[in-house]
Amino acid sequence: MTEAEYKAIEFDNVSRIYKSGDHELKALDSINFKLDEGSFVVILGPSGAGKSTLLNLLGGLDSPTNGKIRVFGKDISTLDKNELADYRAETVGFIFQFYNLIPTLTVYENIALVDEISDNSLSADKMLEAVGLLDHINNFPSELSGGEQQRVSIARALAKNPKILLCDEPTGALDSETGVLILKHLKKLSKDYGKTIIIVTHNQNIAKMADIVMNVKNGRILSIDEQEIPLSPDEIEW
Amino acid sequence: MSRKSHFLQMKLNGKGANMLRKKMLRTFWLYKVQFISMILMVMLGIGMFTCFNIEWKSIEYNMFSLFKNSNYADYRLINSNGFSEEDLNNILDIKGVKNASRFITINADVNEKSGDTVAISITTNFDVSSFVLIDGEKYNKNSDDGIWLSDQYAKKNKISIGDSLYFTYNNIKLKGRVRGLIKAGEQMICVSDKTQIMPDFKSHGFAYISPALYEETLGFPYYPNINVLSNIDAKTFSKEADKALGNTNLIIPKEDTLSYSQAEGEVSEGKAMGSILPALFLLIALLTMISTMHRLTVKEKSQIGTLKALGFHDSKIVFHYTSLAFIISSLGSILGIALGYFLAWIIMNPKGMMGTYLDLPEWKLVSPWYCYPLIIIIIFTLTFIGYLSVRNMLKGTASEALSPYIPKKVKPMLIEKTKIFKLIPFGTRWNLRDIVRHKTRTAMSLVGIIGCTIITIASFGIKETMNDFLDVYYENGLNYSSKIYLSENASDDERFDIIKRYNGDYGASTNVKLKEKNVNLDIYNLENGKIQTIDKNSKQFKIKNDGAYICMRISEKFNLHEGDTFSISPYGGNEKFDMVVNGIFRSTSKNIIISDKYAQKLNIPYKIDSVYTDVKKGDIELSNNIKSVHSKKMIMDSFEVFLSIMNNMLYLYVAGALVLGIIVLYNLGTMSYVERYREMATLKVVGFRDNKIGKILYNQNLLISIMGIIIGIPLGILTLSSMLKSLASEYEMKMSIGIPSYLFTIILTLSMSLFVSGMIARKNRKIDMVEALKYQE
Repeated sequence: MTEAEYKAIEFDNVSRIYKSGDHELKALDSINFKLDEGSFVVILGPSGAGKSTLLNLLGGLDSPTNGKIRVFGKDISTLDKNELADYRAETVGFIFQFYNLIPTLTVYENIALVDEISDNSLSADKMLEAVGLLDHINNFPSELSGGEQQRVSIARALAKNPKILLCDEPTGALDSETGVLILKHLKKLSKDYGKTIIIVTHNQNIAKMADIVMNVKNGRILSIDEQEIPLSPDEIEW
Repeated sequence: MSRKSHFLQMKLNGKGANMLRKKMLRTFWLYKVQFISMILMVMLGIGMFTCFNIEWKSIEYNMFSLFKNSNYADYRLINSNGFSEEDLNNILDIKGVKNASRFITINADVNEKSGDTVAISITTNFDVSSFVLIDGEKYNKNSDDGIWLSDQYAKKNKISIGDSLYFTYNNIKLKGRVRGLIKAGEQMICVSDKTQIMPDFKSHGFAYISPALYEETLGFPYYPNINVLSNIDAKTFSKEADKALGNTNLIIPKEDTLSYSQAEGEVSEGKAMGSILPALFLLIALLTMISTMHRLTVKEKSQIGTLKALGFHDSKIVFHYTSLAFIISSLGSILGIALGYFLAWIIMNPKGMMGTYLDLPEWKLVSPWYCYPLIIIIIFTLTFIGYLSVRNMLKGTASEALSPYIPKKVKPMLIEKTKIFKLIPFGTRWNLRDIVRHKTRTAMSLVGIIGCTIITIASFGIKETMNDFLDVYYENGLNYSSKIYLSENASDDERFDIIKRYNGDYGASTNVKLKEKNVNLDIYNLENGKIQTIDKNSKQFKIKNDGAYICMRISEKFNLHEGDTFSISPYGGNEKFDMVVNGIFRSTSKNIIISDKYAQKLNIPYKIDSVYTDVKKGDIELSNNIKSVHSKKMIMDSFEVFLSIMNNMLYLYVAGALVLGIIVLYNLGTMSYVERYREMATLKVVGFRDNKIGKILYNQNLLISIMGIIIGIPLGILTLSSMLKSLASEYEMKMSIGIPSYLFTIILTLSMSLFVSGMIARKNRKIDMVEALKYQE
């Protein structure tokens, strides 16, 4: 298979089973899907459906019990701890519901910290410019609003110049106005930089702006739908 | 409150109390590291406190008990011409004198064992300066062959009751049979000579014989001492005794005797140790308690709020959390008391450290009266700290209590305004900010490292100082093989014959009055360099013939300095001799030294009483003119015991210091880890490897450790210097800390810190990124 034939992301019969004593919990049950590079994907599902588990497996935060996960042709399901850390440093960027910034580092330092682990990191200044936060360069996270903190989180994820951005309920802690602003940023990144963006949410309205909508329930994929004309974030009813 | 709501509250309190008890147990389990650390800190603090206080109190108690049971004399009148029966009666006639006895102690050689000496005492009245019988027959003052021998000497030399012993003193043979085994207050610290530091029962012991046997062997009654039991103060007694006997007599109060003063020295050392070190441990325990309880209640704030919102009274919640502090401090105190008794027992038992020094019949462990009330106060204080922490979290309404704790905002540090800060690597910047943000935690870690460094450097320093002291004074200072004690009745010609025959240096030792106080005057001729005198800088110097040299303790006590003049007067006469202070020197005994030529110039009468020679003890022929011979080896051998005791004590301190450091750092490291858990999880998600995060954690501890060591070393030197000052009444030591001591301290402290960092850093491998980042803090 040549590189051109690779799909960006391939889940091949992936399961994740958590064991607690004699009890087994199947968080993901034999999942199969493929995604192209540059897709804007929304994974929808109720609480406990397995959507965050899916994201964590793809992000290299966790490893599958069975199956293979290939990202740009590389099987990440067999990587050891250090290889997974390198994978996270080079290939994926994370955006969380609660931002997870380092409170003792300034906005600039939170972004520049990726210089420590990545040789291809992008300039922190440019990333801050991209998210419109150049005025807050020397502020600490506690001095910013929730939306601003989430933008710093996006800038940090982008600074590593990852091919894939994984967003776990990125607007979950924000008001509708700020939520829209964040989604606009994400959409722009997908369009301008060709990043593969995967958003996990239970908010069905957000799904309307996706190229692909994946419905997950009880650890299984119910459907994968392509949307030919996705809505722009401004058109979403919150 | 209505009846219904009162009933509801009762119900809630009753059932809630059970649930709260369950919650308390689970909280204990959840914060086990913090709780165990606090319990250990309190245990160490209380343990050290009780140990050293029990040590000094037990020495005092058992010492006085022996003194009382063996009728230890309050005063000793000394006259080398001896006292008659009439003199004794005159002393007994003094109002306030309870009892008195003519007394002598002679250092006799043991015929069966070459090199051994036994101090044989004879008291004409068994109710004064006698002994405690451990085994065998009761003392019989008319026994013509009875020897009551030191049980320790008998044990070390396998001598049993009924065995015959032969002694030689002044070329007179004395033989007898062991009738009993004893201990005596007069020989509680049994050393052969004032230069010997530690008893060595293998080669030197003591015994009592009856006046009958002594007088029969000697052929006449010669008693140079009258030992007196009396409550009169020293000044009055001296005046009355001089009046009763018609001349100035040398009177030594019990406080100036070797056994009494050395044991008192141990008591005051124990008192000093019982306050300085435990205070440090308790302070750290207190600070750990404050910071841990605060952090714990901060972590529990939402639960405290929930309980309040549920309807629990503040008092109930306060009681719940304060109980935790009470349980920790009580448990720590109980374990601490047990540890204190155990450590005190290690020091205070017949086979323990003190057992090799003090010869006591009883080794009861006694605690000073204030120990337990103080422990109760400590428990109360620690509980109160717990109370204040939870009280703070309960302030305001239930909704306020429910809202999460908001830490202080991070403010930029001054250094951040400099260009250098931008050059500092990310990890260091992160650590610096964490240090500034968590000042209490950092300060606590610093205190732990500083405490550990102080104790370690002071311990190594005292070991090096003591080794240096022994080298300077003894190994290099005493250049003779044997010290010959000359007989009182040898003529001057006979004395010089012996000096010539053994090609030795010689000296005369006498007691004189200086400003009405008794001091030693040593007159030396040291042309062959058999004894080296040491100046204040521990350099050797030669005694000149135009002045006196006073030891540091006399210089300080009498405020005498170089160039000053002072007067001394020998006992038994009214003459006064003016002397010039030529120099101040370091001495093992409180004395003044002058050359024989200076003594002759001033017309001070003296009788040469000792000769220092290279000839080995066994090659010295005993005669009527030689009282006894001591070898340098005997003195040096006794140091081995002394050094091994000292080393054991120091290893105990260093071990304590390291345990202290490990507990404090591990506790704070765990707290730091818990508080930075989310940050570390974020770094992992971003792509930091475990090793890189571990390195950042290592660096923070390293930074604090280096700061702690830099502060701790000078403080340790100050502590050592104050410890040496407290020992100044016993030893005139010069502080000596060399590069190895510094290196050992730095290596030990850093290793301890890195060891703890390693344990903490390993934890970051187990961080569950998914769980850690799921919820808002």
